[in-house]
Amino acid sequence: MPEVDIALTVNGRAVKWHVEAGETLLEALHAHHLKGTKLICGTGDCCGCGVLLNGNSINACCMLAAQAEGGDLLTIEGLAQEGKLHPIQEAFAQEGAAQCGYCTPGFIMRACAFLQEHPHPNETEVRAALAGNICRCTGYVKPVAAVLRAAEMMHE
Amino acid sequence: MLKIAAYHSPTTLIEAAALLAEDGRTAIAGGTDLLVNPRYMVGVREVVDIRRLGLNYIRVENGWLYIGAGATMRTVAQRVELQGLANGILARGAAVCGSPNIRNMATLAGNIASALPSADTPPALLALDAEVVLVGMRGERVVPLDSFFVGPAKSVRERDLIRELRIPLAGSNALRGGFYKIGRTAEDISMVNAAATLKIQDGKISMARLVLGAVAPVPLRVSRAEEALVGQAATEETFQRVAEIVRDEVRPITDHRATAEYRRRISAVATVRALRQAAGLATPGEEWQHA
Repeated sequence: MPEVDIALTVNGRAVKWHVEAGETLLEALHAHHLKGTKLICGTGDCCGCGVLLNGNSINACCMLAAQAEGGDLLTIEGLAQEGKLHPIQEAFAQEGAAQCGYCTPGFIMRACAFLQEHPHPNETEVRAALAGNICRCTGYVKPVAAVLRAAEMMHE
Repeated sequence: MLKIAAYHSPTTLIEAAALLAEDGRTAIAGGTDLLVNPRYMVGVREVVDIRRLGLNYIRVENGWLYIGAGATMRTVAQRVELQGLANGILARGAAVCGSPNIRNMATLAGNIASALPSADTPPALLALDAEVVLVGMRGERVVPLDSFFVGPAKSVRERDLIRELRIPLAGSNALRGGFYKIGRTAEDISMVNAAATLKIQDGKISMARLVLGAVAPVPLRVSRAEEALVGQAATEETFQRVAEIVRDEVRPITDHRATAEYRRRISAVATVRALRQAAGLATPGEEWQHA
């Protein structure tokens, strides 16, 4: 497999990665020991592999790693600062907004992008924002409550 | 993982066109179809990324609205120029294409290049008389979207690159539109979708476009219905009559999303609802609010 060299910022750190031409961004994250971003459907349908690229939430499973050249990437590992959880993570924990937890990183990263743009959302807006995130344990009520709580926490 | 031998990232259109002229290569932008649907990778050994060609623009110039091949669904949904055009039907189609994460990556041009009959934006683009600007080694050519699609995942594009889509703005102030998608949820692929544009003078329809998605091998302009609308009063009665024509004209298939018979019936429903919006008998949605 031919390789491509890319330079990007991952969770605030400038990195140079050697990736295969056909490797997805998700596969490259895993190869670089960033395993918090989960592979679930692998077809762009569940948003379980959500990360932020230049501030926009995207699915790491349906983008080539090579396409991330020059990008600013934020993954679930980059949210907590100095051992302190990000307010969205804290809110998910307080609300018990996880069952098996596999889809949770995707929910949290989507919420992260959403709250940056909508710091004072109502419930309808939160539901629409999370509409693409699929939880096969079917826990949809508490993530909404968690995002609303996170919005409050982020204003305190 | 795509099984490819090379990834190219050209920075000029000429370079991109030359790369795409070779056998076994395909263009990639958002990647949301290419990376998940093997049908687009048959015979492909190398991909050409078109996102560094400076095609992210949406601009109005000389009576046309241009949407560059790099413009994402989210950008299309959020632009006021598109929200204000024919009751925002194109912005609304883009706003219900997939999930927020998909709309951040997927491009409008990609939705056209994929050429799927169930796509959410072709009906609105066809109802707006959009054209596709293609670039290849032989230069540039402009194809009306109406003659672009050939069959499921098939178009007249061949090895050319979509540079932009363009929509004529002459007379568009008088254009009223409607869009209606029927799916299990807004994120889902449509079971049926419909877009309409009308011009109404003194209560009578002087111009009509009616296009349905997911009811035929290509997004379907229903000419017989358009002809039946022109000259008629823009009333519920007219629309119900036209819906019967649509029900006869569609050629749907049965798949895991809906049966052919169900699609035939909801084609009539989507038609009436889109036409009501265009005539001011129902309030058009503002789907872009959550895009």
